[in-house]
Amino acid sequence: MKEEYTIQLVKKEVLGPTCSVLTFTCPQIAEEGKPGQFVNLSCACFLRRPFGIMCVDRANGTFSIGVRKVGKGTEAILASQVGDKFTCLGPLGNGFSFDGIKNLMLIGGGTGIFPIYFAAQYADENHIACKVVNGYRSKADAFLSDDFSKICKDFHITTDAGDLGVKGNVMNYLETLTDDDLVDTTCMVVGPGIMMRKVSEWAKSHGLDCYVSMEERMACGIGACLVCVCKIKAEQEGKEFVHKRCCKDGPVFRAEEVIW
Amino acid sequence: MSISVKVGQVALKNPIILASGTCGFGRELAEYMDLSKLGALSSKGLTLLPRDGNQGVRVAETPSGMLNCVGLQNPGVDAFLRTELDYMVESGAGVVVNVAGHSNEDYISMVEKLNPYQDKIDALELNFSCPNVKEGCMVIGSSAKAIEALVADLRKRTTLPLWIKLTPNVTSISETARGAEAGGADAIVAINTLLGMAIDIRTRRPLLHNNTGGLSGPCVKPVALRMVHDIYDAVKIPVIGCGGISTYEDVLEFMIAGASAVELGTISLVHPTRPVEIVDALEQYCKDNGIDELSSLTGTLQLWR
Repeated sequence: MKEEYTIQLVKKEVLGPTCSVLTFTCPQIAEEGKPGQFVNLSCACFLRRPFGIMCVDRANGTFSIGVRKVGKGTEAILASQVGDKFTCLGPLGNGFSFDGIKNLMLIGGGTGIFPIYFAAQYADENHIACKVVNGYRSKADAFLSDDFSKICKDFHITTDAGDLGVKGNVMNYLETLTDDDLVDTTCMVVGPGIMMRKVSEWAKSHGLDCYVSMEERMACGIGACLVCVCKIKAEQEGKEFVHKRCCKDGPVFRAEEVIW
Repeated sequence: MSISVKVGQVALKNPIILASGTCGFGRELAEYMDLSKLGALSSKGLTLLPRDGNQGVRVAETPSGMLNCVGLQNPGVDAFLRTELDYMVESGAGVVVNVAGHSNEDYISMVEKLNPYQDKIDALELNFSCPNVKEGCMVIGSSAKAIEALVADLRKRTTLPLWIKLTPNVTSISETARGAEAGGADAIVAINTLLGMAIDIRTRRPLLHNNTGGLSGPCVKPVALRMVHDIYDAVKIPVIGCGGISTYEDVLEFMIAGASAVELGTISLVHPTRPVEIVDALEQYCKDNGIDELSSLTGTLQLWR
């Protein structure tokens, strides 16, 4: 039987004025959590807030998430201190599948870089050839770039401001790649909707397998309430789409199934 | 000591029913709790044909609650009978089937489709109160006369207990409850969600892409409690209380106000194990307070003069 866990904040790493990495004790989530899965964390507001898992430490029984201020819930979570207790459901949703992947390309943007880090770590530990492309606004919010460099030799940055890496967004980097660079490549993308859509279209034009992690406003996180649906192409004839639950059927979907 | 209750002829092992629309057909919450510990489970609102529900943003948080505009996304009554009904029966919880029509004919067709399965169904819950679909439902549920006529018609077509889930979005819920009773309903379920709205001040557009939604959660409890009290006074048939119930104390309040059983759900979207914790807490409460029959609390409210 799954449980609602009471967890404790054991480490808070402030990355910027509105962004931190929070580490919690929870041996079960540390043990079971996979890249692409998320947790649904209590906060000062009525509903929980979902966060993609950034990494797990099985030896110490902890997991980490990256939190950026979006509204009142994330603001309250960011104001918490080491020692504070929360309740949490997780790990939730279907993560990424790494079966049979030869060359992996991970593309992250916004808070998507946190779950992308978990996938990069998995690739590193399992000796899967992996390229990471992270899009940031500027050098000042190029969070975790040192951490990514340590686990991925083929790590690339783009910044809108152009003060670090390639100027522009991730598409400006991807468009420099040739078909020779993309042999047997599978893409996994986590970031803002517009970024995931653009990367999906690009991947399709190069015939690459591509997976995206969908995000919608969520309540229960366990598939019961049906508020977080996204449009997925219907298999049934005469029907354009079906509403699938991001939390339970996703959050990871094949990019070509998604109707943006 | 017993926490079992009766809603008319329907016996439940305890008064806790998972409210329609907050628990699907039980599969998701079964990962977190033993459904057989519950009094009953009310299915996701079923329509005659499958529905995709509303598009775009479907949820907005409020202080102590939430607005939703899911819009009755469901597989339709035929698929329910094929793939979900047996699952609900085998879960060990009582089986309440919630149906929502766009027209009187829809309700009639659904009742006729469900009739052959009456051995597997404890009660039919007629949803006359979904605020998130454009036709039927709340339109029918806003008129005592329309409710009475439709319930009377359905009463002739089925021997299944008919529970009528009422909307609070009316001038007098006592009146709509009396309409249901006059039509031959077996019980009243009150309340469905309160129609509400939230606005994004930056875009000056509603947060919900259906513009409005149904408010649920602890914030609606006082309203629901008052309405249960009013309905208990207005009709002789049993009342099932619903609206913001989150603790065993809430259950007791509703029972004292007149409820024979209760439905809860928004709280299990936050704490999925809470419903069975409440069952355990009710048992403990009866033990601690020397109460032989939990059901003896129903309608024991003493008003101030």
